[in-house]
Amino acid sequence: MKLNRREFLALAGKSSAGAVIFAACGIPEQELLIQSPVDMPEDLVRGEDAWYATTWGDGGNGDGMIVRVMQGRAKKVAGNPDFPVNLGKQSLRYDATLQMLYHPDRVAEPMLRHSKGGNLSGTSWGNAERRMLSALDGSNGRLVVVTNPLRGHVGWVSTRFAETFNGRHVNFDPLEQGVLHNAVRKMFGTNQLPDFDLGRSQTILSFGADWLSTWISPVRLGMKYGEFRGQSERGYMIHAEPRMSMTAANADRWLSPNPGTEGHLALGMARLIIDQGWASAGEVNAFHAAVPAGILDGYALEDVASRTGVSADRIREAAERFATHRPSVAFGGGSAAAHTNGSFNLAAIYALNFLVGAVGAEGGITLNPESPLAEIPASATGASFEAWERELAEWRAGNINTVIIHGVDLVHSLPRSVDVPGALANVPNVIAFGTVMNDTMAQADLVLPEKTFLEDWGTHVPEPAPGYQVVGFQQPVVGPTVTQDGAGLTSDARSFGDMLLWASGGAIGASNMRELTERAAGELFDMNRASDSVNAPNASLFLGGVLQRGGWWDTQSQTDQSAAPEALGAGADPEFSDTSALGDGRDFFLQPFQSHSLMEGQLAPTPWAQQAPDPMSSAVWDTWAEINNNTAEEMGIREGDVLYIRSSTGEVEVLAYPHPGVPPNVIGVPMGQGHDFGGRYAEERGANVLSILVDRKDAETGALAWAATRVRVLRAGRRKKLTKFEGNVEAFPVEPGVPLLIVAPGETAHEAEEANHHEYQRQFLGQNGTEPDDSH
Amino acid sequence: MQQRRTLDQPHTNRVLLNGQLNTPGWWLPTVLLLGVAVVAGLGVILFMIMQGLGVTGLGRPVFWGLFITTFVFWVGISHAGIMISAILRLTQAEWRRPVTRAAELLTVFSLLTALFFPLIHAGRPWRIAYWIVPYDFARGIWPNVRSPLIWDPVAISTYLTGSTLFLYVALLPDLGNLRDRTTGWKNALYTVLALGWRGNPRQWKLQTIGGILLSALMLPIFVSVHSIVSWDFAITPAVEGWHSTIFAPYFVIGAVHSGVSAVVTMMALMRWLWKWDDFIRPEHFDALARLLIVVATGWLGFTFLELIFAVYGLDAPEIALREMQIFQWPWNMLFLVFLFTGYIIPVTMWLFKSVRTNIALMFWTSILVNIGMWLERYLIIVPGLARKQPFVFSWEGYAPSIVEWAILAWSFAWVSFLMLLFSRFFPLVPLFEQKESQVFTTDVKIGRATVPAILREEE
Amino acid sequence: MTTEGYGSHRWGMAIDLDRCTGCQACVVACQAENNIPLNFEDRFDRSRAFEWIRVERYWEGEFPDVKARFMPILCQHCNNAPCEPVCPVFATYHNSEGLNVQVYNRCVGTRYCANGCPYQVRFFNYWEPVWPESLRNHLNPDVTVRSRGIMEKCTFCIQRIRRGARQAARENREIQDGEIQPACVQACPTQTLNFGDWNDPESRINQMKNNDRSYTLLPHLETDPNVVYLAKVDPHKEVTHHAEAESGVH
Ligand SMILES: Nc1nc2c(c(=O)[nH]1)N[C@H]1C(S)=C(S)[C@@H](COP(=O)(O)OP(=O)(O)OC[C@H]3O[C@@H](n4cnc5c(=O)[nH]c(N)nc54)[C@H](O)[C@@H]3O)O[C@H]1N2
Ligand code: SF4
Ligand code: SF4
Ligand code: SF4
Ligand code: SF4
Ligand code: SF4
Repeated sequence: MKLNRREFLALAGKSSAGAVIFAACGIPEQELLIQSPVDMPEDLVRGEDAWYATTWGDGGNGDGMIVRVMQGRAKKVAGNPDFPVNLGKQSLRYDATLQMLYHPDRVAEPMLRHSKGGNLSGTSWGNAERRMLSALDGSNGRLVVVTNPLRGHVGWVSTRFAETFNGRHVNFDPLEQGVLHNAVRKMFGTNQLPDFDLGRSQTILSFGADWLSTWISPVRLGMKYGEFRGQSERGYMIHAEPRMSMTAANADRWLSPNPGTEGHLALGMARLIIDQGWASAGEVNAFHAAVPAGILDGYALEDVASRTGVSADRIREAAERFATHRPSVAFGGGSAAAHTNGSFNLAAIYALNFLVGAVGAEGGITLNPESPLAEIPASATGASFEAWERELAEWRAGNINTVIIHGVDLVHSLPRSVDVPGALANVPNVIAFGTVMNDTMAQADLVLPEKTFLEDWGTHVPEPAPGYQVVGFQQPVVGPTVTQDGAGLTSDARSFGDMLLWASGGAIGASNMRELTERAAGELFDMNRASDSVNAPNASLFLGGVLQRGGWWDTQSQTDQSAAPEALGAGADPEFSDTSALGDGRDFFLQPFQSHSLMEGQLAPTPWAQQAPDPMSSAVWDTWAEINNNTAEEMGIREGDVLYIRSSTGEVEVLAYPHPGVPPNVIGVPMGQGHDFGGRYAEERGANVLSILVDRKDAETGALAWAATRVRVLRAGRRKKLTKFEGNVEAFPVEPGVPLLIVAPGETAHEAEEANHHEYQRQFLGQNGTEPDDSH
Repeated sequence: MQQRRTLDQPHTNRVLLNGQLNTPGWWLPTVLLLGVAVVAGLGVILFMIMQGLGVTGLGRPVFWGLFITTFVFWVGISHAGIMISAILRLTQAEWRRPVTRAAELLTVFSLLTALFFPLIHAGRPWRIAYWIVPYDFARGIWPNVRSPLIWDPVAISTYLTGSTLFLYVALLPDLGNLRDRTTGWKNALYTVLALGWRGNPRQWKLQTIGGILLSALMLPIFVSVHSIVSWDFAITPAVEGWHSTIFAPYFVIGAVHSGVSAVVTMMALMRWLWKWDDFIRPEHFDALARLLIVVATGWLGFTFLELIFAVYGLDAPEIALREMQIFQWPWNMLFLVFLFTGYIIPVTMWLFKSVRTNIALMFWTSILVNIGMWLERYLIIVPGLARKQPFVFSWEGYAPSIVEWAILAWSFAWVSFLMLLFSRFFPLVPLFEQKESQVFTTDVKIGRATVPAILREEE
Repeated sequence: MTTEGYGSHRWGMAIDLDRCTGCQACVVACQAENNIPLNFEDRFDRSRAFEWIRVERYWEGEFPDVKARFMPILCQHCNNAPCEPVCPVFATYHNSEGLNVQVYNRCVGTRYCANGCPYQVRFFNYWEPVWPESLRNHLNPDVTVRSRGIMEKCTFCIQRIRRGARQAARENREIQDGEIQPACVQACPTQTLNFGDWNDPESRINQMKNNDRSYTLLPHLETDPNVVYLAKVDPHKEVTHHAEAESGVH
């Protein structure tokens, strides 16, 4: 997308948001130069609004945002219409970030704990700085910096900072994508997660990942799904996941394999495709490079059916559709990866793409290039659970003097069994940065109020990229918030990056994040790409352009699409934790799932995230368990019954929500609640399912197999109204097609309405005028 | 065959005016007790208006509940007055005489109470007052005459004005009577109110003509008021069980059913409290019960017609609604109670003369009827909203809050309070009507029944 | 649809149910744009939660052949709006651009319009809406903050329509199709929601309306909505044939 200013204006004029980016018109040079509103007093006096572009690195994959600012206050967050990853689209989580910025319980000032076991009490930045320096003093070789996976300059700073003190920088990701990265590396020989060209696929075959709601790049994938549905030749989507997630609900065919058997299902389909000759010889060879023929021996259709619990007909139907209606694409992750055989599952799933020639093809998988910025990786993932167990052992052993934590809540996100608080207790200096208090900050010796991404500078390389190189640029869209009485700031927060740069005493070679951000722009300017998104005569105008568009991208920077797969080892069956010693109750496979609004808890402090109805249950403000309606009936469980969910390492109490979208042997529980600390809206609310996960790991990567926990479920005998948006009647239509009309392919709405009406009347007179059985 | 003393006029005066001239002992404590209840109730209302309607059990889609139900209930009760006075007067049913005034009073007071409910239902009464009541040109915008919520106030205030006049005209002779029997401030009061009533032939003529004219004028109102109230619901196509073409007659006849029953309740009370056995006699109850049997049966017809329409239309949400109303707990229970109290128990009992002439039994059956009739309104208004249109996902229930119940209770205390207060200063049984009837009537035996008949001296 | 009595624009929406994933982005975007009161726990428990646009989820069948379907529902801005005639004070009425508008400071709180609305898209402030002081910072100055006793509903983001119109006027040009985007439409990742002008024959919504999957909600009520839906497609639905249908009772 190469544009001069005139074309750019024209394009921006088309998108309402884009248009107002240019609301402040003036002399072109000034116009291109977008500053932080803090330095723009005129913005404060005029009623005019301005939209500033930035990027949300912490929100997972680094989508582009624009923020409406009026009189120094952020009013609305929206997708950045220019940013190639999400093209102006957004998820409900974007808006919630605004309530993190203006959260009533933002940490107002630094807090200090004078002795372990003592209380945190407010202190000045002066004291805090002294405390931090003294801590670092004795930390040479005994420092650990913990952050969420960062693919930008903050991450780079964290790593450099750790190195300055001969320490470690360790990433943490509650639902680490290590297994996914491993599978992608093995199958496609690349470190970057690929992009999926769903908009042009005819068949989508996905496994485990709730990709329309929460998985890796949900907004982009949602966008592509829209295009997929909009094709003149309607595409067909197959999704295999034990529990009916939002993604499963949108599939044309939902398969519910036994947890952990997704890999077997994939290979079963592969074998069928090959045996039926639905794939060309070339494709079969390409496939065998990834999956040696011998491995398929054990995958006769009937065996696969019995192992996965999916009927042979359904498997055949899916395999045929996948192989014969192309372009097709297969991908997976999420719960499919979270098993002891997770790496095998994903490798098998991604291998399917070779069978349909999907790699690098239109409507298939697009491999992504590396980051354009030296030193800034285009891919990052949390360290494995195994690595974390080792790490925490170090802490517990007292070998670590200082731990600096940013962007993660270890105490809340790691299983109770690994006892993070115990480990932290043996680290003399735990320094935690954060916006709103969380369970980890509450354990720290020094709590430092941190700027949100809306107040800070930075860069983020989105992952997955859209098939070419992209760098998102983050700038402060608002200054510090003054309290209503004007007495002071609601939060005297500082930038995490700036603090590290300061504490490194210049060793990293930059004084603040703004400088680094501008330097990054300079680096891109110097590459002098002909095909990139901003062209400007000089570096400073280039910087302006980049900040204004919220990033830089080069549509001509695709990478080579040839993939050299590494042969897959023999398939293994999933192993689950043991429940024999857990007393009475019935056993289930526990399927924890990421909340579409709270994520694993990051957004739990915000009302907008708390009140957003869950797509399936419409439940809000609480933690519930999705259980099959007939199973529930057998167990005498009604909606709102309190259930004990016991694993061998712990127990949580949740409210039952029976519905037909769960297999009888599975129980689904959302993540994100159960915080002891988290501000007025999150505290003491619901339960934390992550805390009862058992330490099963993926055999290859050592990643936490968070779907490998078996639980025993028991009624507590108490009830509480499950807070939800749905009314007091099970929502089955009272009349076919009303209000939600379903048509068969080619059938017109009118025909469907007619047919439904007659169908309905027949139903009735069949039952001599009594009410239809689905009317309650 | 009842025995009946023929009473001389002084006796009549003494007995009928004892409410005013020498008050019975129970009066003061009762009125005080009710007064406390009324004040408490007003307190609750104030609380609700300060806090906001959040303190009710209302939500979405059940936006209307106990308040509107009770509004309709009291408007229904108010039909007692005209039914008894106007219609029976025009049809010259003599037995009506002793109860006309009490009935008209009930009309006036229940209307006053009914008017109260839409106001507090909206949560901020002053806004209604501001936007609906004054038609001013300053704002250059008038209330929306297409809205039944504009028709209601018009119909009801007309009705209220009419009934008040009606009551007052009938009161004049007695006011004169009282003026002549009182001294001091009371005398002054009655003097003013009596408008110089002397009881001369011209005044009597005018008073009688006025009465008859008013009765005639009231008839259309009688039909219109509850028809219009019914249209609050009937013109709402969105709510199943509301948009029904039979609502106007259905509501009117229902109103008569509950109104007349309320009169029966009151007659029993008057007879007991003021020992007016000589004036409020079993045959009056008998006559009212006969009337009620006819009315109630007509009304029941409409009730079932409703259900038939639902099934005939095969409209899914409406079927779902009836299914809930009739088969689902707790609605099925309410529905049964409504059927039994509203019709089955009372009407079957009234079939026996022994019941019709038994004051106690008549009292209790008439109470039952109004329990049933209140439930009827509740069962019409709430389930329709709880099962609104095929958006099953949004269907919700409704449980009235303690505040709503308290305000419902308040309305009963309030009406009784007003009645008793009135009885202290004005005769509940019109003396002149009483005497007039004593002059005109005698017993005529038709078959086994003894009915009052009119003797006219031939010219 | 009726076009009489309208000015140069008649705004409307076309909603493609085959694209809706139930992601709720539209719901929260609307809440953020329109200063909608926070939906605390008790608001849900008392069925008083505000969602000017809501996503209804319907079940079909039983496991394993169970389907869940999503349907976004907002004010249909009916040309024959049953909510309008019942309002005693004209607090809700139809404007010259096809919008069913709500004048907060005229509303007296009878809730009659909410009973009149068959689509259940009206919401009543049973309590005074409250925000902690710091959260008031993100209130949208273009949108009135409602008070207790007031009915509210989707406005088609009239403030954005006005801004768009002003912008176009300033650059003296016509408003381009797709230029004005209500918050929900702008947020919707799948382009399920589409906003435009029925009076513009070229508009995307007009093209969508011509799709033979298009239908309106509760047509028998003759509300003549300005919102049009495109039916969800299910490749596994078996068609009940017309011949068979005709044989049904009439
Ligand atoms: N009778 C009388 N008239 C006066 C005065 C007086 O004392 N008496 N004072 C005069 C003086 S000194 C002044 S300054 C003016 C003030 O008069 P105005 O300039 O009208 O100021 P307000 O009326 O306070 O605000 C105007 C609108 O701006 C909206 N608003 C708030 N924040 C924003 C924003 O970020 N963007 C936009 N676009 N709108 C926003 C408010 O909601 C309000 O609707 O009044 C003058 N007129
Ligand atoms: S949808 Fe409801 S609120 Fe909107 S215009 Fe139609 S009737 Fe009125
Ligand atoms: S609630 Fe408000 S808008 Fe609705 S009818 Fe009553 S006054 Fe009109
Ligand atoms: S300013 Fe608003 S409230 Fe005042 S008159 Fe005008 S419209 Fe009505
Ligand atoms: S159009 Fe605007 S007001 Fe209406 S639902 Fe969408 S966002 Fe909300
Ligand atoms: S945003 Fe779009 S896809 Fe998501 S729920 Fe709303 S309408 Fe459906």
